[in-house]
Amino acid sequence: MDGLTALVVKIGRAVGGVVGTLYQAGRDSVDTVIRNVIPFMAFISFIIGLILTTGIGDVIAKALKGSASSLPGLLLISIVCAIPILSPLLGPGAVIAQIVGTLIGVEIGKGNIPAQYSLPALFAINPQVGCDFIPVGLALGEAEPETVEIGVPAVLFSRVITGPLSVVIAYFASFGLYSASK
Amino acid sequence: MALSGMVAYAAAVTVDKPTGFIGALATAAEDFIAVFNKGGSVLLSLMGGILPTLIVLLTAVNALVRLIGAEKIENLGTIAARPGIRYYPVRYMLLPFVSVFMLTNPMAYTMGRFLPERLKPAFYDSAVSFVHPILGIFPHANPGELFVYLGIAAGIQQLGYGLGDLAVRYLLVGLVVIFIRGIVTEAITAKMMSRAAKAA
Repeated sequence: MDGLTALVVKIGRAVGGVVGTLYQAGRDSVDTVIRNVIPFMAFISFIIGLILTTGIGDVIAKALKGSASSLPGLLLISIVCAIPILSPLLGPGAVIAQIVGTLIGVEIGKGNIPAQYSLPALFAINPQVGCDFIPVGLALGEAEPETVEIGVPAVLFSRVITGPLSVVIAYFASFGLYSASK
Repeated sequence: MALSGMVAYAAAVTVDKPTGFIGALATAAEDFIAVFNKGGSVLLSLMGGILPTLIVLLTAVNALVRLIGAEKIENLGTIAARPGIRYYPVRYMLLPFVSVFMLTNPMAYTMGRFLPERLKPAFYDSAVSFVHPILGIFPHANPGELFVYLGIAAGIQQLGYGLGDLAVRYLLVGLVVIFIRGIVTEAITAKMMSRAAKAA
């Protein structure tokens, strides 16, 4: 009898643990969505609404069409984003990358920028990723202060090379992407 | 929707289009609210189209990570710290991928603690550069910055193309880029460290 009770308790605990984990996972995801995702969606929706209904869109379209629909233009965007002084300023929360990404997305949707350029554009708008966060990120990895001192400029300088390089790689990787339907 | 309905109703009832000062005001008011009507319909399509899938996916992956246990990946950290050229792909492709997948942004960078000091900046650079390319397939890794990918992906969706091709290519090119980024940053760090050691 004792053995049976022990078994029931064991099974009960295991099931309770799994259900508890799943429930907690659900709670975490809904929390993330409400705190992080929906507020940004609201903000982005406003910007898209503004672009689509006012003349601002045409101005942005002209500026983006020249730069975001050719390899040199995308390279120029990535070089600007990778400038060691600018990159930490453009980084926080990836807000700039998200807004520029949305603007380019709108233009792709309207057909002003070829769909094939979506892949290199994803890299062109983002050479500054994490440049604002280097000291904190290194501290999370328990780096010494001396490492942080060298690590910050090392990463920033590395981006000057790897930022534009990533655009070139993405450009060549985008051959055949959404091009059959054109 | 209610507002646009009201505006449409009002437009249907008005026989003459309002003119003069009041007319200009009325037109301005309609233009003003049109911005937010459009924004609202964009918001509704975003929330209706992406959110349900995202919540279910987030729940599933969060549960998976919890059941596996994030501490299981610590062994990988010690393997990645080994010297030798064949550990480069482990350090700058596999470890960033697994860290970002399991620990998500920003806790993924804590995996740097298993690496020697001279490799930490390179690992950080590699890991942080992967928090967006992973979004196309595993948005749980960085839901707060979803629109880096989603903004451009929305345009593709509007054209009626599938997102799978873009998501997979973004992930794969991302892996190549973080690998190169890790190697370049490691070389730059080594150079700067030896220069600092000479100066000291």
